[in-house]
Amino acid sequence: MKKWRFIVAMEFRKIFAYRSDFWVTFLGQTLLQLLVARALWQNIFESQGQTELNGFTLSTMTLYYLITSVGTKILAGENVGFISREIYDGTFTRYLIYPLSFLEYKTITYLTYSLFYSMHLSLIFLLYHLLFYPDQLTLITLANLTLGTGVFLLAAFAYAMMATLVELMALWAENIWSLMVMLRFLAFFFGGSFIPLDFFPAWALEILKYTPFPYLINLPVKTIMGQMDPIQVLQGAGILLFWIGFFRAAVLLLWKKGQLNYSGAGI
Amino acid sequence: MIQVRALKKTFTSTVKEPGLKGSLHGLFRRKTIFKDALKSIDLEIKQGEIVGLIGANGAGKTTLVKILAGIVHPTSGTATVMGFKPWERSNDYRRQMALIMGQKAQVWWDLPALDSFLLLKEIYQIDDRLYQDNIAFLAETLMIKDQLKTPVRKLSLGERMKVELMAALLHRPRVIFLDEPTIGLDISAQRAVREFMKNYQREFKPITILTSHYMEDIKELCPRIVIIKEGAFVYDGSLSNVQRMLGDNKVLSVTTDEKTFKVTVPRSELSQQTHDLFTKNNVLDLNIHDPAIEDIIESIMRNGLAPV
Repeated sequence: MKKWRFIVAMEFRKIFAYRSDFWVTFLGQTLLQLLVARALWQNIFESQGQTELNGFTLSTMTLYYLITSVGTKILAGENVGFISREIYDGTFTRYLIYPLSFLEYKTITYLTYSLFYSMHLSLIFLLYHLLFYPDQLTLITLANLTLGTGVFLLAAFAYAMMATLVELMALWAENIWSLMVMLRFLAFFFGGSFIPLDFFPAWALEILKYTPFPYLINLPVKTIMGQMDPIQVLQGAGILLFWIGFFRAAVLLLWKKGQLNYSGAGI
Repeated sequence: MIQVRALKKTFTSTVKEPGLKGSLHGLFRRKTIFKDALKSIDLEIKQGEIVGLIGANGAGKTTLVKILAGIVHPTSGTATVMGFKPWERSNDYRRQMALIMGQKAQVWWDLPALDSFLLLKEIYQIDDRLYQDNIAFLAETLMIKDQLKTPVRKLSLGERMKVELMAALLHRPRVIFLDEPTIGLDISAQRAVREFMKNYQREFKPITILTSHYMEDIKELCPRIVIIKEGAFVYDGSLSNVQRMLGDNKVLSVTTDEKTFKVTVPRSELSQQTHDLFTKNNVLDLNIHDPAIEDIIESIMRNGLAPV
């Protein structure tokens, strides 16, 4: 246990080692995404001549995108290529030499990034209130923020397993970049990152219910916004746990087969 | 002890024809090729021994090291290192083994070496006392004390190699695989690494396998060498013996008024050949010496066990 705590601390040290990267990611990227989304939706609201669309006002829509912009980072953890890159360049060898479980190590480092980005959430709320709605300080409760952050971390765990499954294909394929991008697109699009799921047709939502996607972004965002009751949150968390178990079993199976194929290229 | 019996490794890969046509064709169908990296290898190394593994690029040296370090699985055959099958990667084995690769960093680049060491302390479960002793001993012997708080990416190549050595030896392994440890280092850094390894070997007596293209590394560190060619061993024995076995020749380095050249002659014909040289040429300088070990090994790698 101490070993894993140490790995988390080490990853944080790595994150903080690059100060400019930290601030660019935190402020630049998040704010830019937010400003673009807000300008877009402001136009939509104005052109429709309405103050509410599918249950969203401009204020709640801004908040939705604000949480989503951080949420996608929580979900994406250590980012695309966190295993395949190391398989291709040979750095991966390190985990085979050290007396530790490679899968646990990679999952923990991945979730450390998720944890780091989840800390952005509270700072982002301050920005939201300061920049757009200084009179709406009570919109987010501490309880919902905590619960939603927890669900986000659970979603990040599920996504880490899905991403690991695809990344491990690098043990066979020469390039898995397109697969990773595809997974990311599917997860973000059907998770509600680009357009809230409330704007999807009912039949699509019915199908999506049987996939892990709506629980990756839509569930935690709506939890933070206070639009989910505790039962729905619990059900969603249960479904995420099921998907974590499912993908973890698949990852273990793939790893068992794939390690026979590893050639240690790059060393 | 390392015991290897009939160890084979065949790699499969796909190739595509060059050019646009080949690339389009490759989208649907590619040719699979098989390469025997190791062809039924037998090897035995005792505790405390240091063995130099020599061979041209692609001869199979690194593949053997990768198998013994547990990184890749063999196609067939067996290998045990201190009773462990390396590719099963039991933690008990990995706690006693170290792999140092001159071409691949294992410590974390973005952090000072001391941070990496602390993590390794936890990973290897090294107790505090041993950790402190090892850090002090290794930092002093490798003369790297002042650089341990600098992020690794900011260190020079030589300093990085020393940090790699420290990281790999912190847990005092009983088996060490050194893959090109002096590659790219300047002469004084090469010497420092060699000197360190020599002292370390004397003091802690691990099993060490060293692969290197620098004959100085081999000459300084390895009383025993194994020469590998196209996946098979062509020589396994003492370094001095290879010279004696194949070097019953003398090399004459001759400078005449027209040119400078070398000629290798059997020892029994030395006086006759020297006499002929003086008779037929205007010899300005003549030097008689044993064939260089580099030449002998190069010859073995090229021609097998044919006399130099």
